[in-house]
Amino acid sequence: MKKPALIIGSLIILVLVLSVVRIFISNQVATSGVVLGKIQTEAASLKTENTLLAEKLYTKSALTSIDSEAENMGYVTPKSDFVLSGQVPVAYKQ
Amino acid sequence: MTWRYRFAFLGIVFLFFLIVMRLFYWQVVKAQELSLIAQNQYGSTLTLTPQRGEIRTSDNFPIATNKISYLVFVNPKEIKNAGETSLLLSSVLGVDLASVSANLSLDKFWVPIKSGVDSQTKEKLEKMSLQGVGFDSQYQRFYPEASMAAQLLGFVGKDDQGNEKGYFGLEGYYDRLLKGKTGTAVEVHDAFGRPILARMNQATGEINGSNLILSIDRSMQFLAEQKIKDGVEQYGATSGMVGIMDPKTGQILAMAAYPKFDPRDFQDYSGDLYRNPFISDLYEPGSTFKPLVMSSAMDAKLVTPQTKCTICAGPVSVSGYDIHTWDDKYFPNTNMIDVIQHSDNTGMVFVAQKMGLDKMLDYLGRFGIGNTTGIDLQGEVSATLKPKNEWYAVDLATSAFGQGISVTPIELLSATAAIANGGVKMEPHVVSAIEDADGNTVGIPPKVIGSPINSGTAKAMTEIMINAVDKGEASWVRLKGYRIAGKTGTASIPIKGHYDPTQTIASFVGFAPAENPKFVMLVILNRPTTSIYGAETAAPIFFDIAKSLLGFYGIPPVGDQ
Repeated sequence: MKKPALIIGSLIILVLVLSVVRIFISNQVATSGVVLGKIQTEAASLKTENTLLAEKLYTKSALTSIDSEAENMGYVTPKSDFVLSGQVPVAYKQ
Repeated sequence: MTWRYRFAFLGIVFLFFLIVMRLFYWQVVKAQELSLIAQNQYGSTLTLTPQRGEIRTSDNFPIATNKISYLVFVNPKEIKNAGETSLLLSSVLGVDLASVSANLSLDKFWVPIKSGVDSQTKEKLEKMSLQGVGFDSQYQRFYPEASMAAQLLGFVGKDDQGNEKGYFGLEGYYDRLLKGKTGTAVEVHDAFGRPILARMNQATGEINGSNLILSIDRSMQFLAEQKIKDGVEQYGATSGMVGIMDPKTGQILAMAAYPKFDPRDFQDYSGDLYRNPFISDLYEPGSTFKPLVMSSAMDAKLVTPQTKCTICAGPVSVSGYDIHTWDDKYFPNTNMIDVIQHSDNTGMVFVAQKMGLDKMLDYLGRFGIGNTTGIDLQGEVSATLKPKNEWYAVDLATSAFGQGISVTPIELLSATAAIANGGVKMEPHVVSAIEDADGNTVGIPPKVIGSPINSGTAKAMTEIMINAVDKGEASWVRLKGYRIAGKTGTASIPIKGHYDPTQTIASFVGFAPAENPKFVMLVILNRPTTSIYGAETAAPIFFDIAKSLLGFYGIPPVGDQ
């Protein structure tokens, strides 16, 4: 008769402990909505900032914009290239 | 006392039964309905629109990405000075004043004024602190290189339901992969509208679009676009295009067309410009087709480079039609090397007659002529070859020099690439890898789609094409110190059943360095006016681009021959 009473007792204690833990955690997180809201707003704002910066970066590093910027700065396309010729194979020389 | 006890007991049991029944009614019978009502009270369902995938060039630069733009809306009931607000909105947003005024006078709480507004304009409006004016952020397709590779990329428009949809080019072909999957989320909040941590948001199904990594080299694409634009203007052509491909892998390195459109404002351009002419336009290739026919005849061992043409002393008559050479010069007993060098139509008729129709159709099929190439772009077309019983002797003769037969530029480019690649034909491809939303990358391996000719024939044909470059009509513009294989083309344009001698499609196809080709390139000019010949228009553009590409690959000239 002792054993069932022990098990029931333990279960009751476990239920009580878990209930207390649940109440404690619920209380802890109940007010976190404000913090979560702030984090969400901040994340959205950082994401927006990141996208805007990426847009600026891509626009500035686009070849079309570099080309027009270079032209504005006075760069010109070289009319002739200087190339070091490769060695002509011996058989080809003869 | 017993009856009282029993009465009380039964009463309690009855009440308890009523409670259980009521709970059963709410929790089982009406559960779903109540759940929905509750959800609407404490949460809101959001549609999660996935971000469209990026399209990146081989240097990982996004030539199609997304940017934040804003929808400017007004609440007419909150606006105090409608006249002044209309004027300011109209001037900053560039919208018609009458339209803004009409919107502001509506008896509504929310009226959209303009979408796609950039962040600078939004900031400008915010500084004005206009009452009743609000902004909704939205993602919009953004092309940092503006109109670069426009016909290759396609554009993003709307479908029947107003959702984003890719049209033409890569945006169209890979639309399903790029657009991702729409999801839903339930955001749980308290009475003040603040999110509740204890009930995590349930987001399901949203998958951002995959990114495409192209084989397109951004600097080559830029170069090709500049050169073809300059070429079209210099030679007074109506349009022009360039395609550059790696013959060993089939990867497209650049594909440019001019005139082009701006995918950001595609609606402002004619619909004709949306198509990529390199895959969607059929044309008669003219003499650029000769290497395919000549290599076929050599592969079938019907001619050798030294075979003498026995009908080349003058115009050739076929079924009552006289076939001339392009300059009316004739070379009796000329060999096959010289037939290509002089771009001799009569010599090609000799080759076609040696081959016969069966062999000709067999080899054209092996080169992929008459079929789509399988390139991963939306809008590819092909002109199926006529059934065998509809070919006349004159059709066989003219097809040998690229007239009376239609191909797309990509068909000719990939067929020529087979000669450059030792007789092995690769499937042309623009996308080299796909990166999913989690960053996992899957490469697309090169695909062999046949061997139209053997490697020995390809090598011999390459030498013949090198000779054509060094001694043919385009030799004045060749690059000294390089062995480049190529062929000019000047094709008459069929108009209302006859060929107009003043209107041509001038082209040049070739590859370099001939021994170990890094690229195969096709340049096409439509109706050049300064000269009708490919050797005087398309060839200079080809060699101009080739010079830069050889420098790009770090290949120096050898000697000065």
